[in-house]
Amino acid sequence: MKRFIDHEELARDSRFIRQDAAQANVISSLPDDVETVVNVFEQFGPMIEAGVRGTSAEPLFEELGPGFMLTVLNEPLDPEAPAALSRLLLRMHGIFVGELQALEGAARSLWDFPDAPWEFKMNMARQCWDEARHLQIFEKLLVHLGGHVGMYPESTFLFEACCSEDPAMRVAGVNRGLEGLACDVFRDMIRFADKTGDEVMKQAVDFVLADEITHVRFGSEWVKEFTKGDPEHLKRTQDFRREVDKRFSFGGARSDREDAAIPIAREDRLEAGFTEDELQELSEISGIGPSKATLTEAAQILRDRYHETRDAQKEEAS
Amino acid sequence: MSERMYPGLTQEERTGFAPYSAFDIPADLRELHGRYDVEATALRVRNFRYAEEWMMMMMGGWIATIPEIPVKTGLGKVIWETAQAADELGKRLPELRCGRKSLEASEAPNTAFADFVQEVSNPETPDLTIEKLSGVFDVLIPHLVEIYEIHNRETDAICDAPTIAILEDMVRRKHQHIQWGQEVLDALCDDAETQKRRRDRADQLSGLLKESGGVTGVLETVQASLN
Ligand SMILES: [Fe+2]
Ligand SMILES: [Fe+2]
Repeated sequence: MKRFIDHEELARDSRFIRQDAAQANVISSLPDDVETVVNVFEQFGPMIEAGVRGTSAEPLFEELGPGFMLTVLNEPLDPEAPAALSRLLLRMHGIFVGELQALEGAARSLWDFPDAPWEFKMNMARQCWDEARHLQIFEKLLVHLGGHVGMYPESTFLFEACCSEDPAMRVAGVNRGLEGLACDVFRDMIRFADKTGDEVMKQAVDFVLADEITHVRFGSEWVKEFTKGDPEHLKRTQDFRREVDKRFSFGGARSDREDAAIPIAREDRLEAGFTEDELQELSEISGIGPSKATLTEAAQILRDRYHETRDAQKEEAS
Repeated sequence: MSERMYPGLTQEERTGFAPYSAFDIPADLRELHGRYDVEATALRVRNFRYAEEWMMMMMGGWIATIPEIPVKTGLGKVIWETAQAADELGKRLPELRCGRKSLEASEAPNTAFADFVQEVSNPETPDLTIEKLSGVFDVLIPHLVEIYEIHNRETDAICDAPTIAILEDMVRRKHQHIQWGQEVLDALCDDAETQKRRRDRADQLSGLLKESGGVTGVLETVQASLN
């Protein structure tokens, strides 16, 4: 068996389809300019449409047009908002595949770095079991909320962003970038479950969050260990994590901004070994994307234009 | 009857306590001396650790390339328990005079066994779940269980009791792993063609395993069956 695999080699059963990772990457690098955002999404329109046809995201596309992800990412989860259940399930499914890729990432670290210290292998092996349980938990929560595996396309950009061939960068990407994002998302899900009185979801996600803090701590410790005595390596590793954090901020949807859909879970991250300086930096990196007003306006334009074109086509056809 | 609590210096100054030994009630029938001395035991523990560590690593490599979700999640637990087994074996090594740095020591008994382990790890693409699992759950783990049980029968039951305790715990979990793996394989191999694939793979690997002499490099199964 070779060492290091590509994200395209992740094995899936017949329920899954992929989403082009380009979309997620584009969202993370959008400028704060309505026209550019609209142009980018119109350009990606056919690809986005092809990706959602036949999946449970199709009604969202029908309603909101090619910019539906802007609305989904940009607006905090609200049980009263329109299409609340679709959006909740979309997020749950995203977490489910995120756990799947976290499992695959931790497991690959066991094979990809055969000469790593034993303690590292122990930590990764433990993480395999934890992520495996998380996968089971989120599959059950997905069903609990009325969804199912494979109902939305899977983006593999988490795995893609984290699969460095350097062990320090791998743990920086997976255990600090991806797992840190998981802390933010899970804290937000607990808040949501609290609001809706969903005790099953609240307790399960609370346990998962406890595990994730341990995983971030693995990352905090191993980045230090792998780069010990090599400040240049540490710098490259930190630069890589910054890049990952930027991509995982989805243009400010996950940030410290007041209008963020997913706020940064400061307390949880501190407990997991992030320093105040790192949190300050994350806050700056993640807040760089377009403002909420920009995205809301762009989403509206995209929706209106999509409906206009669709209505015109219908008329022509009849 | 003496009422002394502690013995004195003369014959008359004995305590009144009866000579009780937990070993006498009931009589301890264990005899000293086993097949392996300290050095041999340490080598065997390093051999066992080699198999456990590599098995854990290869299952880690496979999770991403196996399409069946319950297999991915099941392997997650097997990986953790296999890592714990390797860890326990490593902790035994400093106790067997291997030095404080021996916690991470693994050793293949010979190149043939190392080659066998690499062959078990070889299947890669998503269509080879049967070949992956058969190597581990039909061949390698059952072999390890057999050797661990032989070790526990043949080592000095008192002197080497710490190794016995570790292996007993491992065997208990390995039986669960084998049961899980074989249930999965039974489900995956539901027609003549897939059943043949499983059999062929197990036969091929069993042949290589036998040629290598197994995890300790000596054909212990044959020795054991003579008696
Ligand atoms: Fe997780
Ligand atoms: Fe995690």
